Amino acid sequence: MAEDPIIEIKNLSKRYKGSEESALKDITLDIYPLEIYGLLGPNGAGKTTTISILCGLIAPTGGEVRIDGFNLRNELDRIKQVIGIVPQDIALYPTLTALENLTFFGNMFGLKGKSLKDLILDHLTVFGLERFAMKKISSFSGGMKRRVNLIAGLLHDPKILFLDEPTAGIDVQSKIVILEFLHEINRKGTTIIYTSHYMEEAENLCSRVSIIDRGILVSTGNPKELVASHPEFKNLENLFLHLTGKGLRD
Amino acid sequence: MFKFLAAVKKEYLLLSRDIAGIIILFLMPMVLIIIMSLLQEVGWNAIATEPKLGVLFVNNDQDSLGINMEKGLRNSGFFDVINSVNHLPVTAESARAAVKKGDYLIAIVVPKGVTKSMRANVRIAVAKTLSGFGMYNPMLLNNIAQKEADTVTLFFDPTIRKAFKNAVVSSIKEFNYRSETGMVFRSFNAEMSKQFPAYKPADIEYKESLQFKEVFPNYKEQEEIPTTVQHNVPAWAIFAMFFIIIPLTGSMIKEREEGSLARLMSMPVSYIHLLLAKVTVYFFVCLVQTFLMIFSGIFILPLFHIPMLIIGNHIIALTLLTIVTALAALGYGLLVGTIANTHQQAAAFGAVSIIILAAIGGIWVPVYLMPTIMRHVAVISPLNWAITGFYNIFLRQGGLITILPSAIKLLAFFLAAVLITYIYRKIKSPINQ
Repeated sequence: MAEDPIIEIKNLSKRYKGSEESALKDITLDIYPLEIYGLLGPNGAGKTTTISILCGLIAPTGGEVRIDGFNLRNELDRIKQVIGIVPQDIALYPTLTALENLTFFGNMFGLKGKSLKDLILDHLTVFGLERFAMKKISSFSGGMKRRVNLIAGLLHDPKILFLDEPTAGIDVQSKIVILEFLHEINRKGTTIIYTSHYMEEAENLCSRVSIIDRGILVSTGNPKELVASHPEFKNLENLFLHLTGKGLRD
Repeated sequence: MFKFLAAVKKEYLLLSRDIAGIIILFLMPMVLIIIMSLLQEVGWNAIATEPKLGVLFVNNDQDSLGINMEKGLRNSGFFDVINSVNHLPVTAESARAAVKKGDYLIAIVVPKGVTKSMRANVRIAVAKTLSGFGMYNPMLLNNIAQKEADTVTLFFDPTIRKAFKNAVVSSIKEFNYRSETGMVFRSFNAEMSKQFPAYKPADIEYKESLQFKEVFPNYKEQEEIPTTVQHNVPAWAIFAMFFIIIPLTGSMIKEREEGSLARLMSMPVSYIHLLLAKVTVYFFVCLVQTFLMIFSGIFILPLFHIPMLIIGNHIIALTLLTIVTALAALGYGLLVGTIANTHQQAAAFGAVSIIILAAIGGIWVPVYLMPTIMRHVAVISPLNWAITGFYNIFLRQGGLITILPSAIKLLAFFLAAVLITYIYRKIKSPINQ
């Protein structure tokens, strides 16, 4: 990778107050522009903690992070201008309509007026939701909510998009639409950092992945190359299970 | 500014979609004010208004004291004197039983011979007085022994208010003094007539030498008699304003739990802007609440035969005081909503703390009725600062200057609450600021 990384993480660590174990231990990795980067790991591995730190939602205990050249500790306002986040939870207001929700979140990025409304309607159309623009989110199915949740994170056309399990618990149709759209915006210039439990999905979508377990970076690389370097495993899921073990996680 | 207005619009939409919440916010305080005013107005003025209070009266004396006492009670206009129950003359035993059952609140039993005893004691007193003038008449004291004071028994229902009980006892004592005074006059005249046959008793009509004028000083220097409405409307309006903590903290914690706040915190918008947007919407809720409460005091309470609220002429002072009271309530709500981890915590702590602050602040019971220690404690409650300001406007007809001390304290409380909220947020999640 000749280019400078768009995200540089050095010795990142995080220990939650009252917890005996660190959620992240000395994570170091670089993510380059236009990558679709997968953070994979079992429950409690540290994926959401990593994304929360990168988005400025929680403070790291140690280490350094630079995003698009800005230091996370003292240039968070600049970072917020270039990132988008699609959280694991449906972070929408149930009693507002899809249009009202998206208008509000668009407004928070300074978008307004007819151009914002057109942008929202375009996105709703892409995700097959144009008929539901004026319906309250509370009346939506799980898949519809996930799609609106995704739109809310990318209306401002972020340079870097963080997605925390964007396809969790939705039907195949919704999943295909979402993944195709992610490919599309990636082609247009958005760097995507994505967490998932679905190994096959990550194998097909991501240019590189990192496997995290118990806060430690276990392996990093192109998913196909990772599998190829371990011929005893036929796919990423088998390799993942080998690296993280079959024990149940909390 | 644009983002702030967008957040205000979002808060407005969220609130307007919560119909049950709106009913609670606006209708419940109005219902509360009507019920509390009805209860207190009827309770506090029970003696002065119809229907009269039924009093069982057992007159075993059947002489001047018993007769005068019964006559006095009837003429007071406060009591309905009852001498028989179920067509049977009431006795000491049946009166006691009736009060015990809760059928009557008060029963009075005048013992047999009480007038005779009083008369004897008066005669002894008169004889002793005259002996000081060398007019000792041994015949006067023949066969008369000093009597022990007789006992008029009063049965009270245990639920009766202490102040009301004292009023009844005072009334009876007053009848007794009047009767005794009359006896002294008559006995003295009779004895003087015996001693001096030429003495003609003057036809003196005894009049009380003291009269009482009730004045309620206020800044208008007009004698307006305060009513419970002048306390109830502002008191419950303040209570309702501070109870905004429940929907406000609910909105804050719901936003946090649903993940919307986390999403917002990843966007280029400050937490304080989002909080101020909430404050703005709920601030108008407080103003509308207060307007509706005052409206109820002026137009709805009179429909229930409760005196109308008189708001006076100091609308600017009233508006300013309402604004700072609303801000203080909202500041407290922001603080609790930020510190509480769950909706349950915020609702339980918020509700209980407001009830405590209302209780110690003189919302339920006026401060002057509290024990000394509680009067000192009352001044720490922001609700007390607010009610003190409203008293100055509604009861004392005071203007802007008179409410300034309250207004300054309430505004300072709001600013302090916002500052603590900001600092707490910064400490808890420094990267978010």
